[in-house]
Amino acid sequence: MSVDEHTPHHPTPAQYWKIAVVLAVLTALEVALYYIHKALELGNFNSILLILLAALKFVIVVGFYMHLRYEKPTLNRFFTAGFILAASLYTIVLTALGVVTIRGG
Amino acid sequence: MTATAERPTTTIFRRPSSTTGIWSWLTTVDHKRIGIMYGYAAFFFFLIGGIEALLLRIQLAQANSEFLTAGAYNALFTMHGTTMIFLFVMPASAAFMNYLLPLLIGARDVAFPRLNALSWWIFFFGAIFLYSTFFFGTSAAPVGVDGVGGIDGNLAAGGGPGSFNFLADSPDGGWFGYQPNAGPLYSSGTAMDYWALGLQIIGLASLVSSVNFVVTVLNLRAKGMRLLRMPVFAWMTTVTSFLLLFSLPIIAVALFMVTFDRQFGSLFFAASNGGDPILWQHLFWLFGHPEVYILILPAMGIVSEILPTFSRKPLFGYSAVVFAGAAIAFLGFGVWAHHMFASGITPVAQAAFGLATMTIAIPTGIKIFNWLGTMWMGRIHLDTPMLFAIGFVAMFTIGGLSGVTHAVVPSDWQQTDTYYIVAHFHYVLFGGAIFGLFGGLYYWFPKISGRTMNETLGKVHFWLMMLGFNLTFAPMHWLGLQGMVRRTWKYAPETGLEPWNVAVTIGAFIIALSVLIFMFNWFTSRRRGRPSGLDPWDARTVEWMTPNPTPEYNFAVPPVVTRLDHFWHLKYDQDAEGRAARKADADEIIARIEHEQLNPAAPIHLPNPSYFPLVAALGLPTMFYGIIYHDALWAKALIGVGAIITLAALIGWGMEPLEEPHEGHEDHELDEELELAPGDGHDG
Amino acid sequence: MADLAHEQTMDLGHPEHESTGVDNRKLGMWAFLSSEFLFFGALISNYLLYSNRPGFAGVYPSEIYDIPFTSVSSFVLLMSSLTMVLAHNALSRNDQGGTRTWLFATAALGSVFLGGQVFEFTEFITLHDMKLTTNPAASAFYLLTGFHGTHVAIGVIMLLSLWGISRRQGELSEKHGMNLELVGLYWHFVDIIWIVIFTVVYLLSVPPV
Repeated sequence: MSVDEHTPHHPTPAQYWKIAVVLAVLTALEVALYYIHKALELGNFNSILLILLAALKFVIVVGFYMHLRYEKPTLNRFFTAGFILAASLYTIVLTALGVVTIRGG
Repeated sequence: MTATAERPTTTIFRRPSSTTGIWSWLTTVDHKRIGIMYGYAAFFFFLIGGIEALLLRIQLAQANSEFLTAGAYNALFTMHGTTMIFLFVMPASAAFMNYLLPLLIGARDVAFPRLNALSWWIFFFGAIFLYSTFFFGTSAAPVGVDGVGGIDGNLAAGGGPGSFNFLADSPDGGWFGYQPNAGPLYSSGTAMDYWALGLQIIGLASLVSSVNFVVTVLNLRAKGMRLLRMPVFAWMTTVTSFLLLFSLPIIAVALFMVTFDRQFGSLFFAASNGGDPILWQHLFWLFGHPEVYILILPAMGIVSEILPTFSRKPLFGYSAVVFAGAAIAFLGFGVWAHHMFASGITPVAQAAFGLATMTIAIPTGIKIFNWLGTMWMGRIHLDTPMLFAIGFVAMFTIGGLSGVTHAVVPSDWQQTDTYYIVAHFHYVLFGGAIFGLFGGLYYWFPKISGRTMNETLGKVHFWLMMLGFNLTFAPMHWLGLQGMVRRTWKYAPETGLEPWNVAVTIGAFIIALSVLIFMFNWFTSRRRGRPSGLDPWDARTVEWMTPNPTPEYNFAVPPVVTRLDHFWHLKYDQDAEGRAARKADADEIIARIEHEQLNPAAPIHLPNPSYFPLVAALGLPTMFYGIIYHDALWAKALIGVGAIITLAALIGWGMEPLEEPHEGHEDHELDEELELAPGDGHDG
Repeated sequence: MADLAHEQTMDLGHPEHESTGVDNRKLGMWAFLSSEFLFFGALISNYLLYSNRPGFAGVYPSEIYDIPFTSVSSFVLLMSSLTMVLAHNALSRNDQGGTRTWLFATAALGSVFLGGQVFEFTEFITLHDMKLTTNPAASAFYLLTGFHGTHVAIGVIMLLSLWGISRRQGELSEKHGMNLELVGLYWHFVDIIWIVIFTVVYLLSVPPV
């Protein structure tokens, strides 16, 4: 399989640069949040915001730079399966070890 | 039929080209040869693990026995478990997968033939590395027992690091290496390092082959071989590969943590410094429970091939069996903490994991009922493979039922670390996995030899093994419930445990006898067995649609599959009452297939042999020996040498094409015609 | 891992009718990467377990993080994903010179990141006396970032190999085009793992109160 076969769907270099700018801005936001979240009195909301920003960067890199948006669904399923499995298993482990705590009850 | 030797243009070394002799085996990339090597290696370790078990049983046959020292006993049960799981059942299953997967899906090889050879060599060197602990490893004597007497009596003189005790100086932390018992404090010496790093290497081998098998199944199926037309063994190979793919990275991290604790002074499991030994249990069983299904699912696949063939009926509820297998695998990821009910996890966790464990009984029950349904009203032929398959269903059911009793938490508290547990997992792993594997060996023996194994000896083997197996492991249930503790080295005569222990030991030796009969049968049948022809069992699946022994190219004409049990439907029609009736010209059909497959219309080009997998694999144990002795300068050099060997081999590998360019243009065109012939309807 | 990249598509006369339509090597690489989630997941969980467990001897990693420094090196690694994808794009346009340039730039950015990690480790050890053996939190920090660094280093070696082949042969053939795509996938994956590590381990981690 040659590289060119599916290239037409891929972003152009100019678009790759624009995506990089978005990633840079998101990173700047993360770092800024790290310094000002106390002043803004964000509390737990800070963690949620930081995780959301990281998730956004994650999805952008996977979708555009790894071209997962343009690939066959098989690959997407592989990747999602691995991610979800890891996330759920380790969440359970950390809950059992008392790191993640379930509120209420 | 391979491409003939040519001087390659891309590498400085001449490519290996021999087709017979030792070099052809060392450089082969043929999935069948790799499977055979896996098989022999696995069987060798089956014998070693068996001898270890017999030594343990001699020790336990008598109360207060002085046959083994405590240190030797610890080492033997650790190595027995480690060997049987990682060096026997896993590679034996890998042998079947390697040999059969391409044949079952109508392919000529796996997706990455050289990577396949790499897996095998990594496994091989990893096994040697692990077992070299007997010669190089050191281990301190267990604390708190007097190590007097025993065949390893010199342990009494101190043992421990520095002195050489063949048996006692090997890993002694149990096959699940609980921390901190197997950590630097309580298992000083290098033996447990050999264990941790050896398993690391062997795990890498499995990871590489799991990627290979997943891609093979997804991309190399013959025309018409849709996923739900694949034989169940191909399905179970796929499911097992996914389990390996997702569970091995976890144990890799856990083993790295142990190695760092032991070698570099990190504190992951050092309870005195705030480390958490329970983390090891979680990580180990996160891998360890899927591992249980990695061991049993291939055997379930084998049995699902044998039962329909010898019942002359299709597998009852094919798709249910397949989905039940996948469900077992999926649920198997969510039940690991049932190994830890006695480890002080919270009541909520105990209840949740207990319930989750019980749900596994549902897909397992589905499978058992489907196997029974397959035999129901069938025309059952009790050949040796069928005996083993039926034995599997019966023994596995017993093991499964005792398994359900562990899911009940209060009951499990009583059973944890007693012989009841030992009985349970031997019923599922010996009565299950090993019976299934032996059935598979008898069933597919014609594929590697062109002959069938001796039926009489096979039946003697089966009945002796069945008798020995039950005599060995059934009394363990009672011993366990009477309070005999697992891994106990000695027991007092007043406990009254001796009579059943004698029975168990006798049973173990009966098993050993049955294995000797099997070996005799195997080696004599290879030479003098009855020629099998193409279809000795009136089989159903496409791996039988090519002559025995299997030609190097598998299929001259890859099958074009029209339905499940494709081969069967070529031979059988339905009669007026809806019963299967053999076609009048079935024998001619078989003869035609044999003729077609033996006489390719044009040369078939297969991937060339390669040195690089062997060399690349050699670098790993070299590096790991260096890690164990990393303080010494020579060891640091060894790490470098190993890294260079692997890197150089990988670079050579990258420069070397999979297939050498074929000689002669005309030849090449013919080849292309052949390749295109079965695929004239490219609908991609 | 690297070996996957070197295996070629089998063409052994299969009418590949029932295939997924995805190149074997690419499918293999994605399968491998999906299993890497479990690998790094274990390492991150290990860090989360110990990072703010009270009562350890010595300093906790989160007490001594140099966030401005790490932000810069994270940014460098993030931008190496841009140069990687530009190399891939250049090759698809058969711009061999551009491919070489961007490959080298990616390897260079990766090396800068690695250099930053060496500097960071050295500072932690010499200035703050936080070693692998100090406490479980420190052990977990070094194991996680160390294994990530090892992945980056392997990536740099693969990138430089491709760059070397391209220089020697004057171009990257079609076969190596797939290799470049595979190395790219691996490289981006290592990058997204760092995106997670940067947030979870550096920005969100706090010492015990």
